[in-house]
Amino acid sequence: MTVGKDVSALFPDVVNCMQTDNLELKKLVYLYLMNYAKSQPDMAIMAVNTFVKDCEDPNPLIRALAVRTMGCIRVDKITEYLCEPLRKCLKDEDPYVRKTAAVCVAKLHDINAQLVEDQGFLDTLKDLISDSNPMVVANAVAALSEIAESHPSSNLLDLNPQSINKLLTALNECTEWGQIFILDCLANYTPKDDREAQSICERVTPRLSHANSAVVLSAVKVLMKFMEMLSKDLDYYGTLLKKLAPPLVTLLSAEPELQYVALRNINLIVQKRPEVLKHEMKVFFVKYNDPIYVKLEKLDIMIRLASQANIAQVLAELKEYATEVDVDFVRKAVRAIGRCAIKVEQSAERCVSTLLDLIQTKVNYVVQEAIVVIKDIFRKYPNKYESVIATLCENLDSLDEPEARAAMIWIVGEYAERIDNADELLESFLEGFHDESTQVQLQLLTAIVKLFLKKPTETQELVQQVLSLATQDSDNPDLRDRGYIYWRLLSTDPVAAKEVVLAEKPLISEETDLIEPTLLDELICYIGTLASVYHKPPSAFVEGGRGVVHKSLPPRTASSESTESPETAPAGAPPGEQLDAVPTQGDLLGDLLNLDLGPPVSGPPLAASAVQMGAVDLLGGGLDSLMGDEPEGIGAPSFVAPPAAAVPANLGAPMGSGLSDLFDLTSGVGTLSGSYVAPKARLRSGFGHTEASLSRAAPAVGHPEAGTPGRPGRVLLLIPRLTWSSPGGPGRCGPSESPLQVWLPAMKAKGLEISGTFTRQAGTISMDLQLTNKALQVMTDFAIQFNRNSFGLAPAAPLQVHAPLSPTQTVEISLPLSTAGSVMKTEPLNSLQVAVKNNIDVFYFSTLYPLHILFVEDGKMDRQMFLATWKDIPNENEAQFQIRDCPLNAEAVSSRLQSSNIFTVARRNVEGQDMLYQSLKLTNGIWVLAELRIQPGNPSFTLSLKCRAPEVSQHVYQAYETILKN
Amino acid sequence: MISQFFILSSKGDPLIYKDFRGDSGGRDVAELFYRKLTGLPGDESPVVMHHDDRHFIHIRHSGLYLVATTSENISPFSLLELLSRLATLLGDYCGSLGEATISRNVALVYELLDEVLDYGYVQTTSTEVLRNFIQTEAVVSKPFSLFDLSSVGLFGAETQQSKVAPSSAASRPVLSSRSDQSQKNEVFLDVVERLSVLIASNGSLLKVDVQGEIRLKSFLPSGSEMRIGLTEEFCVGKSELRGYGPGIRVDEVSFHSSVYLDEFESHRILRLQPPQGELTVMRYQLSDDLPSPLPFRLFPSVQWDRGSGRLQVYLKLRCDLPPKSQALNVRLHLPLPRGVVSLSQELSSPEQKAELGEGALRWDLPRVQGGSQLSGLFQMDVPGLPGPPGQGPSASAPLGLGPASLSFELPRHTCSGLQVRFLRLAFRPCGNANPHKWVRHLSHSDAYVIRI
Repeated sequence: MTVGKDVSALFPDVVNCMQTDNLELKKLVYLYLMNYAKSQPDMAIMAVNTFVKDCEDPNPLIRALAVRTMGCIRVDKITEYLCEPLRKCLKDEDPYVRKTAAVCVAKLHDINAQLVEDQGFLDTLKDLISDSNPMVVANAVAALSEIAESHPSSNLLDLNPQSINKLLTALNECTEWGQIFILDCLANYTPKDDREAQSICERVTPRLSHANSAVVLSAVKVLMKFMEMLSKDLDYYGTLLKKLAPPLVTLLSAEPELQYVALRNINLIVQKRPEVLKHEMKVFFVKYNDPIYVKLEKLDIMIRLASQANIAQVLAELKEYATEVDVDFVRKAVRAIGRCAIKVEQSAERCVSTLLDLIQTKVNYVVQEAIVVIKDIFRKYPNKYESVIATLCENLDSLDEPEARAAMIWIVGEYAERIDNADELLESFLEGFHDESTQVQLQLLTAIVKLFLKKPTETQELVQQVLSLATQDSDNPDLRDRGYIYWRLLSTDPVAAKEVVLAEKPLISEETDLIEPTLLDELICYIGTLASVYHKPPSAFVEGGRGVVHKSLPPRTASSESTESPETAPAGAPPGEQLDAVPTQGDLLGDLLNLDLGPPVSGPPLAASAVQMGAVDLLGGGLDSLMGDEPEGIGAPSFVAPPAAAVPANLGAPMGSGLSDLFDLTSGVGTLSGSYVAPKARLRSGFGHTEASLSRAAPAVGHPEAGTPGRPGRVLLLIPRLTWSSPGGPGRCGPSESPLQVWLPAMKAKGLEISGTFTRQAGTISMDLQLTNKALQVMTDFAIQFNRNSFGLAPAAPLQVHAPLSPTQTVEISLPLSTAGSVMKTEPLNSLQVAVKNNIDVFYFSTLYPLHILFVEDGKMDRQMFLATWKDIPNENEAQFQIRDCPLNAEAVSSRLQSSNIFTVARRNVEGQDMLYQSLKLTNGIWVLAELRIQPGNPSFTLSLKCRAPEVSQHVYQAYETILKN
Repeated sequence: MISQFFILSSKGDPLIYKDFRGDSGGRDVAELFYRKLTGLPGDESPVVMHHDDRHFIHIRHSGLYLVATTSENISPFSLLELLSRLATLLGDYCGSLGEATISRNVALVYELLDEVLDYGYVQTTSTEVLRNFIQTEAVVSKPFSLFDLSSVGLFGAETQQSKVAPSSAASRPVLSSRSDQSQKNEVFLDVVERLSVLIASNGSLLKVDVQGEIRLKSFLPSGSEMRIGLTEEFCVGKSELRGYGPGIRVDEVSFHSSVYLDEFESHRILRLQPPQGELTVMRYQLSDDLPSPLPFRLFPSVQWDRGSGRLQVYLKLRCDLPPKSQALNVRLHLPLPRGVVSLSQELSSPEQKAELGEGALRWDLPRVQGGSQLSGLFQMDVPGLPGPPGQGPSASAPLGLGPASLSFELPRHTCSGLQVRFLRLAFRPCGNANPHKWVRHLSHSDAYVIRI
């Protein structure tokens, strides 16, 4: 039997031996039965009598053995006979029998769920949770958890503070394996407030020092989840953070298999809470005898932990790794250096020089990898490190990998004006044009067009050559279409072509390779499971309905920031500097469409999570990530169809309206006639492929800009440049409505002091400025300009300072603003970067505007609409805030808010509380729905905000505070 | 939960196959696993693999694959822990773990599995608890005999201790030989440390850490009390100080749950009542701050003549152990640039050996006495290696050379300085000789890397 021989023929003989008193023999017989009963169901009935008898044997070992074996015989007829013995065994006096019986209920449920329910075994099982023996409790919890998973709606594992308390008590007593069941069960519980969360955390923390890594990780999971509910200011929060690090570090001294699994989990934890391990960089240094999969994971975590403080150490390590022998590892190390440069700006210079050193080694694969990486660095820091181009060009001949060639060609094209022999270089590539991979061909095409636009006189021939190669001699539709587009652009309007092809590119940023936040939050709930190893939600790899209940982190109840993003840009980013575009993030689709194109939000519900990745990009810089994610859905020829129907299936309905709007717009564009609509649509699909290939080829560092495709797309579709940065923490936002803030101190602006505030009156937004001349010379020629901002604020009139401003003089100006400017998401959402010019110099400052200047007068929604919209917006988008110390009553609140264009749609009185339902609309058409709960006598109000673009909620809340407290 | 468990031989033949959930697939799954494992591309992790909805997690132990499969999103940690516990458990019950012992003890293994896992839920992995349920006796190939102890001098001729346990002594089943009382009274206590070191090319120390554990294998009846005395200056954490000397400091300690710590604070004595079988009494780690000098320093110098393609490496290895100690099985492994064709060597003593293999230089030093210094001069021809431009000899190393790594064993030496002062047994068997106690201290290298 054990060596794979079929001995089922002996069934009757074996069953005869069943009644033996020899336990050893009995066990062997039972082992045989388990293996063969299924193939001989009729004969298995012969054994039933003995089973039933054995279940009443005085020896508990035999009772348990019988009930365990019966459960394993998956023959329907036997299960009927199993019920009575099982019922007895569940109440057995011996804990060993009870714990076996508890598992047996789960077995029976798997075979015949109805039977288990009818026989009332589930209730008995629930009673076992209060059993005196911890082993029995653990098995009962495990069995119930499993049964509950197949009935997600049932309330089998009714977790309440009392039962949680019981579990926590059993936790201290049972075996390590039981502890795992119990901790996993605890992780599914959502405490009612932060106090309860803290007390559970306190009782779970001792598990962190357990020797069994599974116990440790299950405890980490519970802590990571409940920590979400704790306020960051709490002392306990800090203590907990400190306690998390040592057990994680200890895991790294285990065997490589455990290390690998631990590293995959640490990777998630570090992305969620980098502060946990920020001082432990050294433990992630690669050991030479680590298996390659451990090395690569360590490398990834090193980058995630890299910061200004430890960058020198990290770079030194990476440089060492880049000289090792393992080719794969060396490549990854070189990439990692590039990621460091992009992540830690201060280190960029050092990274570039390290890369140059590596290029000097002339080792082929190192050089190629370094060039790919340097291209990304150029995209992050344009016009900073061109001095290295000469060195790169020296290695032109040694490049044989498509990715490196494409990168090099991109560099040549991008900096064509500084490379004297750029035309020769590109020409040399052109000779073997048809042998190149698509990636290289596309890059070459774009680079030559760029070159032509920069040096039109010498390169006319070259550009014609490449255009004809691409359009006439190529079978590749991507290439051909891109060729045609360039051709038409160049022949129709070279100026426009220049604007398109040589437009400023969005910067790339480190965050592109982070796991997308909603997925990350979900994965955090699955720490210590297979999902955390695959970095995929369980629904992606577990079959059917089992265990696929979507989990999410508990919302933070306190009034502070909704989600914190450690990577948020510094609040007062240096003015004038470009904000980074992070193309992958943001479930901003809703307001994106609104901001830009103005259709009302009342459209179909936004399947935000499904379209997240692509949608933003589609309108923003490159089409890359959209296509990178779902290439197959987009390249479909159906896309060429009339605009309204040109909706790729995976984008869902909301994109549809947006896209059709886009296409409608294009048809009215002056430079291009409407007949171009169809080719353009195809162009888009064509680019889809190219981008897909490019962005997949370089997953390590962001999305390569990939030449021009994004730009023609953008201009053709007449979308102002829209780029979004991380929707991270909208939390940092200063007081805003205070009368006249100093925005630009005199010492920073050669004597010009600017203070001001924002107001909204009768539908007009204005910026009230006070300019004071503290210098010794007269100031004249004032002008003002805004950087692109989230709501498209722009001066509606020039800055009028009528007379020259003499020293010590002050002038007050009210500058009307419009919201028709170009839009780019800023961080924080409401920051505004302003440039003021006078005869002395140009000065930059940045300020935050209160959101309520953007609340429009027609922001009252009708009741039905309100109800429908409220239901429509997914609950994840709801944010709750507390407004403290506000002495007003409901009437006063309502009227005061109304004067700031927050309209009360309905008012209800529920159990003595006043509930105000309010709506408001932003200038870009985003609706925000609010529910304000006021308890008489309690100066704290509860404000729930629902909006399709949840990142505005924080700012709306601040507007509420400002309005109510002034 | 666990769907299946199986043990495969190193060639992929299933030795043990157990299905817990009535899943389909049967023994084909084992074959599928082996095919998947052998066909895996290099940089992909074999730890967790999946095929459709079936996920495989495995460990390799003594040449066997222990594999668990599951179709749910369960903790890979618990599976890995379980597999390694099973390996220990099978070792405890069957003697050593190996293809032969497993196939001899199939019935026992199935019986164990039945008790350890019920419907894929882990019930217990404690040798002690399981003893109550297990009926089958282990089949041992050859009886253990004390004559095996004749191989005294395991650690070289200098061994003066009369009783040094041979390493094979511990590989017999803990739970067999119920009849033979006289052989049962043995206790093995090992203090084993693993040393990881990273030294930069300029000789500065980048990282040191020591992972140590005190392992106990007891053949005494369960519950017999014993006390282990550790060095009194032993302190835990960065701040604590004991005595006047430098102290023996570790960063973190964890103990087995059967250890009583009531005398630990005052006298550094661990009191425990171990179950029969193996357990890790204490685990500790120490990083960055070693009380004694590192056992080895390497002084490399490299001459690289790009013109002629000649590479000359001079290695000087100094052993900084106390003069009475020695290191055994020292091996230096130095990856070389691709395309090295010939090697000529000058070694400082005859018992050393150096050879080329797998793109690296291997320098074996069977024994290195504390305080001694050894050297080797190696000349190689490396035609056609890319390197920094310029002719003539240069001191910079060509690409692909290094880092050097050392592996060694340091018998009767612990890098942290921790020693077992005494091992006292409260147990006195009636009418029998005193139990044998074997205490060993051992350090070995984990990753001892010197960059060049």
